[in-house]
Amino acid sequence: MDASALNSPDLQRFLNQEKEKAMVNEMVAKLTSVCWDKCITSSPGNKFSSSESACLSNCAQRYMDLTLIIMKRVQSMQ
Amino acid sequence: MDSFSTGSSGTGSPQISTDEFRDQMKAQLAQAYAQEFLETVRGKCFEKCISKPGTSLSGSESSCISRCVDRYIEATGIVGRALFTSR
Repeated sequence: MDASALNSPDLQRFLNQEKEKAMVNEMVAKLTSVCWDKCITSSPGNKFSSSESACLSNCAQRYMDLTLIIMKRVQSMQ
Repeated sequence: MDSFSTGSSGTGSPQISTDEFRDQMKAQLAQAYAQEFLETVRGKCFEKCISKPGTSLSGSESSCISRCVDRYIEATGIVGRALFTSR
């Protein structure tokens, strides 16, 4: 594969897909880290309590809500 | 990330097929993700389970770590699903 092969639409599609996957992976990883700290306050057990799993799920969704609000606010300032 | 390698040795510019490139890239990405995950879990579970480091890991510390790893993997699943389920 030489440099010109990098322009192939196939490869571009592949690279874009992998880029997107990487972004998703990073988002999930970061959110899990943040929400773990917020929600799992005691020593890990053999399973999550229902409040712990609800907290994790809510945390993720609220964080996304937050992201949207911040973006809108910043946009409205421009 | 490592540079991409070919199986061939010798002189001249190394040629690699697109498929090989794709496979190697996927493999390297998977490895990078796994490494990052390991780092994170290690930090979280050390924090949760090892409050006073002794001269070796106690039984309760070891079982805490096992549970912690399982729970963190489970948490990753919960968070992932919460993000991609529409409300």
